[in-house]
Amino acid sequence: MNNEIVMAGFGGQGVLLIGKLMAYAGMKAGHEVTWMPSYGPEMRGGTCNCTVVLSDQPIGSPISKRPHALIVLNLPSLDKFEDSVRPGGIIVVNTSLINRLPRRTDVTVVPVAANEIAVELGNAKAANMVALGAYLGASGLVDRDNVNEVLAEAFASRPKVVATNQQALQRGYEIGQAQCVAVAAR
Amino acid sequence: MAKKLMKGCEAIGEAAIHAGCRLFFGYPITPQNEIPEYMSARLPQVGGVFVQAESEVAASNMLYGASGAGCRVFTSSSSPGISLMMEGVSYMAGAELPVVIVNIMRGGPGLGGILPSQSDYFQATKGGGHGDYRLLVLAPSTVQEAADLVIDAFDLADTYRNPVMILGDGLIGQIMEPVEFKKEIKPEDLPEKPWATTGCAGRARNIINSLYLDPEELEAHNWAIYAKYQEMAKEVRHEAFNTEGGCDVLIVAYGTVARITKTAIEMAREKGLKIGLFRPITLYPYPTEALVKAAEGAKAVLVSELSTGQMVEDVRAAIAGRKEVAFHGRVGGMVMGPDDLVEQAEKLVAVPA
Amino acid sequence: MPSVIIEKDRCKGCELCINACPEHVLAMSEEINAKGYFFPMAAHPENCTGCRYCLLVCPDVAIQVENKGKVTKRPDALTEKGFSYCPGCTHGVIHRLVAEVLDELGVRERTVGIAPVGCSVLAYEFFACDMQEASHGRAMAVATGIKRGRPDLVVFTYQGDGDLASIGMAETIHSANRGEKITVIFVNNAIYGMTGGQMAPTTLPGQVASTCPTGRDVNLAGYPIRVVELLKELKTPAYLARVTVDDPKHVLAAKKAIRQAFKYQLEGTCFSLIEVLSTCPIGWGMQPHEACGWLEENMVPYYPLGEVKVPEPAVVKAGS
Repeated sequence: MNNEIVMAGFGGQGVLLIGKLMAYAGMKAGHEVTWMPSYGPEMRGGTCNCTVVLSDQPIGSPISKRPHALIVLNLPSLDKFEDSVRPGGIIVVNTSLINRLPRRTDVTVVPVAANEIAVELGNAKAANMVALGAYLGASGLVDRDNVNEVLAEAFASRPKVVATNQQALQRGYEIGQAQCVAVAAR
Repeated sequence: MAKKLMKGCEAIGEAAIHAGCRLFFGYPITPQNEIPEYMSARLPQVGGVFVQAESEVAASNMLYGASGAGCRVFTSSSSPGISLMMEGVSYMAGAELPVVIVNIMRGGPGLGGILPSQSDYFQATKGGGHGDYRLLVLAPSTVQEAADLVIDAFDLADTYRNPVMILGDGLIGQIMEPVEFKKEIKPEDLPEKPWATTGCAGRARNIINSLYLDPEELEAHNWAIYAKYQEMAKEVRHEAFNTEGGCDVLIVAYGTVARITKTAIEMAREKGLKIGLFRPITLYPYPTEALVKAAEGAKAVLVSELSTGQMVEDVRAAIAGRKEVAFHGRVGGMVMGPDDLVEQAEKLVAVPA
Repeated sequence: MPSVIIEKDRCKGCELCINACPEHVLAMSEEINAKGYFFPMAAHPENCTGCRYCLLVCPDVAIQVENKGKVTKRPDALTEKGFSYCPGCTHGVIHRLVAEVLDELGVRERTVGIAPVGCSVLAYEFFACDMQEASHGRAMAVATGIKRGRPDLVVFTYQGDGDLASIGMAETIHSANRGEKITVIFVNNAIYGMTGGQMAPTTLPGQVASTCPTGRDVNLAGYPIRVVELLKELKTPAYLARVTVDDPKHVLAAKKAIRQAFKYQLEGTCFSLIEVLSTCPIGWGMQPHEACGWLEENMVPYYPLGEVKVPEPAVVKAGS
């Protein structure tokens, strides 16, 4: 198993965080993991992405030109990374902020209205968790329980935040899983 | 101890604490700010001291003072800051002071950029500051190795009474990977340094100095530290990967490029091309003998760096004309992909049409 | 009866002692010593009152005084080595004062001194304590490293005007601003002595130096920097004083200030810096006693003597 996942969005949307959670959960599940952020002068408000690699073997390159999956929270990120995804891969698209679907037909597309769902759940900041959940549901790559556990650790001092984030993750997971089943049935 | 997921920069800081270091002097510069930030939070928790110096020039001279007083001490910076530190580094080499300096390289020259680079190889391995001296230079390629090498670096610095540099790049500083700290050294268990300026009670006074106005004395001093650099040759470290039984192309790379090469090896395997990797871990002393041996079984040798070609000079010197040595570099913060390396390797072994 | 003891082979014949003696006890001998200098002798020993003025101004610690059965002695905190300074240069007086203070406070064996680049680059040969040689301007950074790593040690720097106020100005301001618990001895002689008499940041307006041959032009070089006044403006508590060593009374006052500076360090109170106005007879092109007069007439008016800042006893509240 070797999986390279790129997550991208505006700075402040929490893409680095969901990458870290995925890497941390992967580590807990016994995988080799790397997490590599883009870093640049645009600390907030600019575009921002990170790459997570999960593997059963020691990881060589921590950056990926041909990721297996892409989670995009805004349009510039979809424009930038859509073509890089490997055939047969997964693209999770935040339809709340992205007004088009991927043009690619050789990948599984998981549309998810991440911001709306997050607002519904009472934590507008949890859109990133919805998207992460959708990816986990669609890929089955990392166990959701592992991520939930890691979430609880990361926000140990703020139990309310843990709860809404876990709910967001759950909602996303269900959407991702359903989409995956739909694709399989096609 | 359980594995922790840490950024390279943070792991470097924690490793220094595990090495019994309780002193950090530095100045912020991207992309290594996580090191001073980490130290500023962690050192007070373990009875240590963090000082944000007014400049890298000052920081390197604070290191000089603290090391001269017998303390384990380290600093970190990135390329432009390391240039400013070269004053202190030369004096520390001259006064034979053990310190650990981390350079998380970024693109240059001048202000350059903030993205990963390996363009300070010459500066690190050929001295960097004025005078005849060398640093012992270690180049990690994973976060775990960065942590392990930092701990070793303090011991090596003490053994040779010489500055040791950890040469990483923006990628190794920013990446997160699981890391485990395998040993912990308590400052109080470190051996005494009888040469240090710790107060002259009960002994003759000690002087930390690099000034030798008598040319005969200065020459003797230079040859004495030169002998030390010769002695360091026994510290050479390297990794040879996928070279057993020879290979089509031997890629020589360190740090980040070496790990990209490992991915290239897998990609090439699918194409029936055997790429081997020779990865120097010590850049000074350079693992010349092992490289020559690894190159013997290779049809072609390719050096790849995030520079326009610096380490390649050492490789060519080692190979000494026995084989053609090709070079592939990316600079300015651009990083080659594994597919680029496979393509370069394919070119080298292609039968001319 | 009090008497003057002259270690003639330490003498460089500067005659400052002869000028200082109020009773005209001393006169130059007609012999030369091992270094080739004429040296003083007690021509009228019967006039000696044991006032020690000769000892106080001697830049080579070549004079001791016996009075009521007690003999003064060379400080333990000085090595036996003769100073390498030019005849009549008051660096030697300042060295002796620092050494006496280290002895009197009983801290020599836990002191680390830092020598600068400049005339006193070889200070590590003269102070009988652990020493470090710093690069040009960085003495206070080196001191910071030592003191932060080993707060139990007594740390002092000994720096000239080029070292402290030009190339090392950033280190000076920031060490003071961090309130490093170190003692700085700042020797201001308004010129670059070792490199051959170039303009210093403290060279007086109109003063001739080899890089301002028509005199310092303040329109081009700015005004000389008053270091202690500059540092005074920092909010961080500090002990800052300016003294000189051009005559016996000033030497006594200088020692008092140096002693106070070290005491503040020992108590962990604050950063301390003593600016000592010093002569450079060779760089200024004067006889040693003329140089003392020139200092008094020209430097003291621009660089007023006295305590410029003392640490406030009140505790500064966080956020104030």
